Amino acid sequence: MIRYALTRLVLLLVGLVVASVLIFVTLRVLPGDIAQMIAGVGSTPAQVEAIRSGLGLDRPLPVQYFDWMSGVVRGDLGTSLLTGTPVATELAQKAEVTVPLGLLAMAIALVFSVPLGVASALRRGRADGTMITVGAQALAAVPVVWAGMMLVVVFAVWLGWLPAQGFPRSGWADPAAAWRALLLPAITIGIVEGAMLLRFVRSATLQAVGQDYVRAAAAKGLTRTQAMLRHGLPNVGLSIITVLGLQVAGIIVGAVVIEQLFSLPGIGRMLVVDVGQRDLPKVQGELLVLTGFVLVVGFAVDLFHRVIDPRQREAQ
Amino acid sequence: MLRRTPLAAAVLMAGALALTACTAEQTPAPSTSAVADPNASVTVRMVAEPGNLDIRETAGAALDQLLIDNVYQGLVSRTPEQDIVPSLASDYEVSEDGLTYTFTLREGVVFHDGQPLTPQDVVWSLTQVRDTPSYRDAERLAGMTSVTADGQTITITLSQPDSSFLWNLTGRAGLVLKEGDATDRKTAANGTGPFTLSSWRQGDSVTLQRFDGYWGDPAGVSEVIFAYIPETQAALNAALAGEVDVVTGFDANLSEQIEANGDFTVEVGASTDKGTLAMNAAAEPLADVRVRQAIRQAIDHDAIVEAIGAGQTQYGPIPELDPGHEDLSDVVPHDPEAARELLAEAGAEDLELTLTIPSFYGTTVSQILVSNLHDVGVTLEIDPVEFSAWLNDVYVNRDYELSFVLHTEARDFENWADPSYYFGYDNAEVQELFAQSLAATDEAEADELLAQAARIVSEDHAADWLYNGASVVAVGDSIAGMPTVNVNERLNLAEITKSEG
Repeated sequence: MIRYALTRLVLLLVGLVVASVLIFVTLRVLPGDIAQMIAGVGSTPAQVEAIRSGLGLDRPLPVQYFDWMSGVVRGDLGTSLLTGTPVATELAQKAEVTVPLGLLAMAIALVFSVPLGVASALRRGRADGTMITVGAQALAAVPVVWAGMMLVVVFAVWLGWLPAQGFPRSGWADPAAAWRALLLPAITIGIVEGAMLLRFVRSATLQAVGQDYVRAAAAKGLTRTQAMLRHGLPNVGLSIITVLGLQVAGIIVGAVVIEQLFSLPGIGRMLVVDVGQRDLPKVQGELLVLTGFVLVVGFAVDLFHRVIDPRQREAQ
Repeated sequence: MLRRTPLAAAVLMAGALALTACTAEQTPAPSTSAVADPNASVTVRMVAEPGNLDIRETAGAALDQLLIDNVYQGLVSRTPEQDIVPSLASDYEVSEDGLTYTFTLREGVVFHDGQPLTPQDVVWSLTQVRDTPSYRDAERLAGMTSVTADGQTITITLSQPDSSFLWNLTGRAGLVLKEGDATDRKTAANGTGPFTLSSWRQGDSVTLQRFDGYWGDPAGVSEVIFAYIPETQAALNAALAGEVDVVTGFDANLSEQIEANGDFTVEVGASTDKGTLAMNAAAEPLADVRVRQAIRQAIDHDAIVEAIGAGQTQYGPIPELDPGHEDLSDVVPHDPEAARELLAEAGAEDLELTLTIPSFYGTTVSQILVSNLHDVGVTLEIDPVEFSAWLNDVYVNRDYELSFVLHTEARDFENWADPSYYFGYDNAEVQELFAQSLAATDEAEADELLAQAARIVSEDHAADWLYNGASVVAVGDSIAGMPTVNVNERLNLAEITKSEG
């Protein structure tokens, strides 16, 4: 077990280094540069050069990369070229919006996908079971942007229950207002992610129903539902955790779109703006943290699986 | 139990929504009284957020809108109608020969940090801009040979007359900052204006607060929030949900939607926005003036103005708000037949051209251009790029055939007299006329010379001007004193008021 964990940890670190190189190189391929963005239209080449060398962008690329990496190793993600604030500070500030948004979206997705998924599996072949499945397929196909706009029109513009966009300027000082601002965007992501999750829960449940241990339990006198609840669902739950781990990346992508649509000052929107302005050191830091986060979640899910599921330990 | 789960989940969802509905406390009641509330907070939707607040180095109209007049001031300023008016100078005088400018500095002006404004601060500010080439607009003060202070009198002398000098002082180059100020200009500001910069939530908003030590009439509201909402639809939603009081940069085609519930009125004012279709004459086939003329005559300018929903046609480089404007519609009447003949003459049938356009401009204008040019046998390919890519490819490297950008700056004719600008237009006669206009000490004469130069630029078909944009602003009914002319360039909010609802 410990050997497995160590091997997995080394893989995680290698993954991070490879990601850092990829991020660094890919961003350098983009046309345009921040010095020109700061100087803007009406600037002279001399003005742009002065800004560029002031920002240290005229140094060779390998030097810039190692500079960045040595900072990261010391726990310093660098400084935004544009705003002059540390990347870590800005990330932490934006995470106050994006992390609760992601958690809320995931909770919403779980709340409806798990019961509906199980129910539709147990009702396979019946009209209501089919309805759920078809409904989920339709929902999963809905574009996030359209779903968000519809929700805004109904709940913000018509009914006036929830804010149409933005996040309270006082942040979490007023938690009720903050949660209210996040609800519509979270529902939007939650519906789409949840619809995908629902289909997964359904197939996992169907698989569990066919397993020997569930049939054995049923043979001992439990109803099919009872047998599923006591013996099948724990196994379904295990695989749901794996899928949730994978969905973290999906939710981050969803946040990029949704934060734009709802003008939420979160990590997703910050990324889009920073790429647009070519604030490369900042984008680097942001992407590295996000990549690291997804990798760590994957690592945690793997370890968790090992601990919980005896079959995997034996298989080694 | 499982049987009821789907239902339970649905109830839970509905319950969650109902709960939030109960805590909703929005009361956007329409105003009944017109009494201005001096403690009001006004939220103004803006399109573009500045990257940082350093007005000395960072480009972009977003910074001018936010900081000039509201936070920073110069000796002189300009009204929305583009008239030059005194600001930190109570009075000014220009000598006969146009070489000496004398300003009387106001007394009792203090900076936001409490320090008094001294004549030396003015001398230092102007000198520093002139001597620091990396500062925006530094070259606009290049002709300044000296700036001195004697008591409250500031005297500036120029090496040669410059009819644009006073105008330049109303812009960034003329802003007065505190000498030796340690404020980090990227994130904070220390000016003399009616508002102090109170907070900046990056990616969201900037809040300005009324400055109680202001030398002039105090601002009409205690707080102005610049809310940066780039998405048009999100801005409309925010307005309809009562979250913003004013929407600038509004889409005139959505006027009915925002006016429907009676809380907003859409105001359309003139602006110096020029929808400029640059044509790169450095390369074939656009080097042939007949091809450029054909493109201009193929374009239905009235249709473009109609599609945008506001603004007017403009057939030369100078818009109506700027000096030297004249109606040049006779130069290129819309005539597809003539366009086809010109192309045939130039041997440029079955032409294929690429239009490089920053992607945030949307597709309305491009679609009309594709269709208009298709009618005369030109295939137009649209290449939407990010703005930074546009800056790199078009602005710096001049690697383009056609390009579209909305140039918002007022009085920017100089770009047609500058062959190193990305337009690449090089005409000695235009450069000479522009130089004469700058050297003219009589305003009417200066304007007349500009008009002559502008006509030549248009007759050379150096570019096409698809439209002269309008300032489209949706103003909440409780708001008064909102400027509506040329707000995309400058936005002085000292006089805005909000009535008690």
